[in-house]
Amino acid sequence: MVKKIFLSIKAILKGHFAVLKHLFRQPVTMEYPEVHPFLSPYFRGRHVLEGCRGCGLCKRVCPSDAIIIEKNDNHYVNKYVIDYSKCIFCGNCMFYCPTHSMKMSGNYELAKTRKSDLLTDIYFKGV
Amino acid sequence: MNYLLCTLFEIKWLPDIWAVILVSVIGFGVVISLLILTVLFLVLAERKLLGFFTQRKGPNRVGLWGVLQTTADAIKLLCKENIELLSSDKFIFTIAPIMAFASVILLWCLIPYNSEFHLINSSVGVLLYFAIASLPMIFHFLAGYSSNNKYSLIGSYRSLGLTCSYSIVLMLSVMSVILVSGTMDLDKIVLFQSKTWMIFSNVLGFLIFFIATLAKLNRCPFDLSEAESEIVCGYHTEYSGMRFAMFFLGEYAELFVMSMLVVILFFGGYLPPFGMYLANAFMGNCEFCSYLIYFEQTIWLFIKTLIIVFVIIWIRATLPRLTQVSTLNMFWKYIIPISIFNLIMIIMMRALW
Amino acid sequence: MDKMVLNLGPQHPSTHGVLRLLLELDGEIITSVEPEVGYLHRSLEKMAESKSYIQYLPMVDRVDYLSGFFYSYAFCNAYETLNHIQVPEYANYIRVMFMELNRLASHLLWLGTYLLDLGAISPMFYTFREREDIVTYFEKVTGQRLMYNYFVFGGVRHCDIYLDEALRIVDNIYNKIDEYEDIITENPVFLSRTKDVGIISKQKALDWGLTGPNLRASGILQDYRSIMPIYDDLEFDIILSSEGDCYSRYIVRIYEMRESVYIIKQCIEYLQNINLSNVPLNNFYHKQKQHEGEIYSFVEAPRGLTMCYLKSVGEDTPYRVKWRTGSYYSTQILKDILKGVYLSDVMSIYGSLDVVLPEVDR
Ligand code: SF4
Ligand code: SF4
Repeated sequence: MVKKIFLSIKAILKGHFAVLKHLFRQPVTMEYPEVHPFLSPYFRGRHVLEGCRGCGLCKRVCPSDAIIIEKNDNHYVNKYVIDYSKCIFCGNCMFYCPTHSMKMSGNYELAKTRKSDLLTDIYFKGV
Repeated sequence: MNYLLCTLFEIKWLPDIWAVILVSVIGFGVVISLLILTVLFLVLAERKLLGFFTQRKGPNRVGLWGVLQTTADAIKLLCKENIELLSSDKFIFTIAPIMAFASVILLWCLIPYNSEFHLINSSVGVLLYFAIASLPMIFHFLAGYSSNNKYSLIGSYRSLGLTCSYSIVLMLSVMSVILVSGTMDLDKIVLFQSKTWMIFSNVLGFLIFFIATLAKLNRCPFDLSEAESEIVCGYHTEYSGMRFAMFFLGEYAELFVMSMLVVILFFGGYLPPFGMYLANAFMGNCEFCSYLIYFEQTIWLFIKTLIIVFVIIWIRATLPRLTQVSTLNMFWKYIIPISIFNLIMIIMMRALW
Repeated sequence: MDKMVLNLGPQHPSTHGVLRLLLELDGEIITSVEPEVGYLHRSLEKMAESKSYIQYLPMVDRVDYLSGFFYSYAFCNAYETLNHIQVPEYANYIRVMFMELNRLASHLLWLGTYLLDLGAISPMFYTFREREDIVTYFEKVTGQRLMYNYFVFGGVRHCDIYLDEALRIVDNIYNKIDEYEDIITENPVFLSRTKDVGIISKQKALDWGLTGPNLRASGILQDYRSIMPIYDDLEFDIILSSEGDCYSRYIVRIYEMRESVYIIKQCIEYLQNINLSNVPLNNFYHKQKQHEGEIYSFVEAPRGLTMCYLKSVGEDTPYRVKWRTGSYYSTQILKDILKGVYLSDVMSIYGSLDVVLPEVDR
């Protein structure tokens, strides 16, 4: 009985000092708007499109039908719109693009005030 | 206080009764402003400390190092809408937070901040303190009962059950203090400790009192009446805006005042820890010093209190919550017998010496 | 005396999602329980029938967002077995390594939130700190923090995995587990909340279909990792505890984390010895005709046995996909074990079962 009480007091003190140790450690907080996290080249953020042939494979592998491709009369891509309200950033469009023209950048700040702004034309028209 | 009163009495055109009222109002104002300032500081300190304990930075956006965070929070709370259920008991629902806060303010008036400033100086100060200190709990119960919410109801009867366990222990351990010092006057209890602190003659009593204090304050590990992972928020689930702020601030004010009482009963209150005032040590016995000493006494009291508060926050950072059953078990099966044993030991010591 | 009906959830601080528990209370003692699920239903099984395999693969991570790799693996494995696709050995090792890291992350999150349910604040932040390391590592390799889409049919997406960093992370976690144990394991308050609370006997655990750590805590030796071929070359112990109370479930998970660290270290050792930069990648889109048939694949996930039933009729889309998840069975058993306990024990029992609601509802 006395031994049990003694042991529990010891355990409580042990726990308290294990917590107290953290008082003297460096905080691990990352203050976000000032400090941006490190992003690897594989990060899947906003899409970047360059030199698309308009084959439409990305449209077929997209799980959430977020891609709208508009072509002109000569069957060239006129508009390449990604609906960011639907996109789940799975990266399928990038992985299965045969010409490797789709890339995903490290831009992850996607908030918009209107839903229609989320429909983004990402087609790079060239110079 | 007395000094101020005497100077006011000497003014010819001021009737004596007005002088007394004026002094009380001034004293009350000082206490209130002290309360608000410490509570704002305390909330910030707790959040900062919990942050540091968990390797975070705590609030650091509003003001330098986040010092204005709690002020901003308080202002936000005051501006918010008071939401009220249609089915709640309006009168009690409104009056409960006000009364709970008011009784905590009353507790602040009972504390001797230094050898002069003691707003309500009663010869049964300890008794008065505990009589008033049991009030907030009743209003917590009423708040939970009147808000017509099942979680609130559970929270409020949990806090009632908790009261049954801690208040006896609290009184038993205070009794040992009274027996050692031979007085119920808080001022005299402090002065009694000018040679040695009470804790050295009554260690067991201190530990018991401290545990009961945690239970009284609804602090971890006894925060079961507002256990947010079980019953959302306990008795103040339905409160918002100003009324919630009253409960919230009242809780922290109570935390501080209870810690002050612990200091007064066991750690020599406003007396300096090494028998000598720093003001005297550095400046000799001048007249200016005798005024400075009053401030120093208050500062000593606050420093000691903050250490106690730190320990309470430290406990909160570490321990999980006890259940209702194990709390009652612990108090009735272990702590009450130990405190009675302690009381008997103290009585025997008194008889032998 | 009248009984009080308390509606715990669907929005409640500690149901970890949207579980609704209809409790009938007699004072603080619970007399009957009715768990209700379905508030987070996303029809992930039905969705499979209208999407091609490639389209469905990213969805699979979303069955349980805390252990996405296991579900990816189960689905990939089912497809590979059905279509006789050979997975290279290095890819298997990478898969095991990522799954075990994911198990660590999942258990860490469980530990933190469980203690938060019990009222301790700090351990949650400590475990999230370590979990953050793992999740950041996943982000570095796969591109996202929770929805990885990294396992593909026939292997993994790419082999640019930062092995040194993984080694650093698991070494760090191995030390930190001791620190958690200092704070928690012997703490009498924690013991009073968990010891002899929510006891699940052997028979009851089997009857209600528990799997994973919950079953092993009841004293039944059953770990599907030991019969999975990809774990064949790896050495690890199966953690067993006999009491079946909340405390033994805690102990089982704590020791399982240590075992996971061992497994990860073995994988890293193997992967460091082969040159990952010039291994061939099986990263292709299957244009060939899909095989017909049906298959059941399984994996030992952090929350119990996870099975994926896949039926194909030779089309581009699966004919039927069915998931068997561990949490669903853990939720069922609440009906039995919550009867007669105190209200304050509900959270300690429910938390100890490690239920994740998206996995229950799919
Ligand atoms: S992005 Fe790639 S896959 Fe999509 S249409 Fe263009 S070329 Fe085809
Ligand atoms: S990332 Fe995924 S969801 Fe988004 S557009 Fe590409 S394929 Fe569609």
